[in-house]
Amino acid sequence: MPTALSLTQRISALFSPAVVRPTLIAVSIFASPLVGSADEWGTIKGRFKFGGTAPKQADLKADKDPEVCGKHKLLAEELVVAEDGGVANVVVFVRDKSVKVHPDLAAGKNEKVVLDNKDCRFEPHVAVVQTGQQLVLKNSDTVGHNSNVATVKNPPSNSLIPAAGESTITFQSDEAIPAQVTCNIHPWMKSWIVVRSNPYAAVSKADGSFELKNVPAGDLELQFWHEKAGYLGEMTIGGKSEKVAKGRKKVKVAAGDNDLGELVLDASLFSK
Amino acid sequence: MNGIMNTTVCSVARPLHKSALVAGLLLCLIVTATGCGRTPAASFRLNMVEATKQRLTTEQEKQVATVLLAMFGTPDEPVCLPETGLDEAKLRLSAGPVRSDIVGRKNGLYREHCAHCHGVTGDALGPTAAFLNPYPRDYRPGVFKFKSTERADKPTHADLVRVLHNGIPGTSMPSFALLSAAQVDALAEYVKYLSIRGETELALMRAFFELDDDALGKLPESREFLVDETLAPIAEKWKTAADAQIAVPPMPTGIDLVASIAKGKELFYGDKANCVKCHGVTGLGDGQANDYDDWNKAIVEINKEITSGSEKARETSTSGMSAEDLDEHRKQIAWLAKFDNVLDGDALRPRTIPPRNLRHGIYRGGRRPLDLYYRIHAGINGAPMPAAKGTVPPEDIWHIVNYIRSLPYELDGELGADKPMLARDRF
Ligand code: HEC
Ligand code: HEC
Repeated sequence: MPTALSLTQRISALFSPAVVRPTLIAVSIFASPLVGSADEWGTIKGRFKFGGTAPKQADLKADKDPEVCGKHKLLAEELVVAEDGGVANVVVFVRDKSVKVHPDLAAGKNEKVVLDNKDCRFEPHVAVVQTGQQLVLKNSDTVGHNSNVATVKNPPSNSLIPAAGESTITFQSDEAIPAQVTCNIHPWMKSWIVVRSNPYAAVSKADGSFELKNVPAGDLELQFWHEKAGYLGEMTIGGKSEKVAKGRKKVKVAAGDNDLGELVLDASLFSK
Repeated sequence: MNGIMNTTVCSVARPLHKSALVAGLLLCLIVTATGCGRTPAASFRLNMVEATKQRLTTEQEKQVATVLLAMFGTPDEPVCLPETGLDEAKLRLSAGPVRSDIVGRKNGLYREHCAHCHGVTGDALGPTAAFLNPYPRDYRPGVFKFKSTERADKPTHADLVRVLHNGIPGTSMPSFALLSAAQVDALAEYVKYLSIRGETELALMRAFFELDDDALGKLPESREFLVDETLAPIAEKWKTAADAQIAVPPMPTGIDLVASIAKGKELFYGDKANCVKCHGVTGLGDGQANDYDDWNKAIVEINKEITSGSEKARETSTSGMSAEDLDEHRKQIAWLAKFDNVLDGDALRPRTIPPRNLRHGIYRGGRRPLDLYYRIHAGINGAPMPAAKGTVPPEDIWHIVNYIRSLPYELDGELGADKPMLARDRF
């Protein structure tokens, strides 16, 4: 298209029937096809550490259904840091949607993911689910809950989940940002679901470690997210501070182990 | 954003921003009254809350505004692509300033009847909005509460017509039963138009985040992206709303009303339906009363982010910062200040949505047993009220409906004859 046209002219031309549509190079904003060597697979791992002094998890006040929920010592889970500095609940996923999937992982999609309402909190705090995979919203408590699933690209839902009951949902498309799941009856209850169209998403464990197994070897883009920090814009990897705009980091995956080592997240990231 | 964001009042161009809409509307009135002759051109406001949240640059805001203008036209000259499924003739009847057309038919219905509450853009920022509780609906997220479809689905055209015909009892949303059927029909179409436009705007603004680095921060200028991937899926949900209508089985027979009410009461207080948790043991709506609906919650969350971000910025010492970090720090402070400013003009102070007081017998979504069935089955979209669907079987939902309908007259319940209810609690 001639560049002399203004933005307005270019855009209006798109919708005007009189104009023959110029053939456009399909610039899909999402997928970039991957070039990886035939059938080699690697494991990406690493460990998130907190840079600075981590704040203590605040006590939550269980003022609804106190006779049941008051029995549990409930702590805020928006930032969970182990004694040795490991940061839990950091989400790591492969951003490329067209990523090749290892045959061993393909079947995992048929397993159900469970998000349990247990002891008046959600277990796990961050759940990973693939498009098309079943997410079971379960209630192991003796009181009723509801699960308000605030997805953006998928239809949101909010179902009553009675004691010992469950409700199953599935998703059609990826969510660009993990979606919050809350209980309106017990407002302190908060959790997150990561919805991806492939199995390459992980959540760091209590010690801060994460692992993405059987990733195709070659160039990939990872994305890092934490509920309190959003997409992590900066981290210190191998002693070197790196800016990772929108939490995106390009990596070259070799066959076998790819250990990113310690990924230090500065305290200032978590001030949201 | 010249050209798009500017409004012309009597050939005097003045930039439209923030509360300029209010001023603009007033100006229109003054101008018309003093016989200026020309009708001022109105413009849609950009969703500045979302633009700021997504940290869009001025260039990016301009790209969104340009696409929207080409796709949807202006408040005076609406256009719609065939993909929207909308009827441009109906839109023209609703759009524009209030006037008579060549056959003497009233035009400009939306601005005459709705804009002072719902805003010209459908952003619920009309001049009257701030004084109302609940606030008028902001159509832009495409979320509606009182409808016959499953929770996340769009209202059908008939649902919108019903809301317009009946109004929303217990709120300031009036009934438009005095308008002709054709006028109500045109207004319902216009609500869809503003919603599809608003949803498209949101989708475009959110798409910047997902761009690959080599897109250089620009959305693809292709029909494939703008229409096929963005507009069409949004419009499709509106076109297929009728397919998502809730199938309602007939009210159970073979049980007398008293027994049905007793069953409904048991369910209401029971662990499964759990209505009591929010609506309270008294049914007065005093259970879980400090929650927000989605529109207000979004603002509450932004407020939190601004507050904690500002606190942190204040505490951060810049001595010893690298030039790059200092630049970022300044950008963050500027962004926080901008956001605060944007909220001042483009958002209202968040209001909580208390669960309904069920002893009034006033139902916003309609008082037919069928309306209550829909509300309980699907919950209330955009509000904390959850769906009983899947948890409570259909015949039990009918028992609850009967109980709800009996609550305003209940004599022997929690607030029965032995515990007289205060008049002020009842009304
Ligand atoms: C006096 C202010 C006022 C005026 C005038 C007004 N509305 Fe409303 N409208 C409201 C309020 C307040 C609500 C939200 C009620 C609620 O949330 O319970 C609302 C809600 C709505 C809804 C949402 C219904 C749903 O299911 O969520 C629609 C659609 C609507 N109005 C359309 C219109 C149209 C079209 C007009 C003009 C013909 C109009 N309104 C005029 C105040 C107004
Ligand atoms: C998590 C809290 C919560 C639960 C649980 C809940 N509600 Fe509600 N309910 C609300 C809120 C909040 C509103 C008001 C929503 C609005 O106006 O946007 C409401 C509104 C209503 C309305 C008014 C509808 C109208 O048209 O005005 C009815 C009837 C109702 N609820 C019945 C029930 C019944 C029956 C149950 C149990 C099956 C139930 N609710 C469970 C929060 C709840």
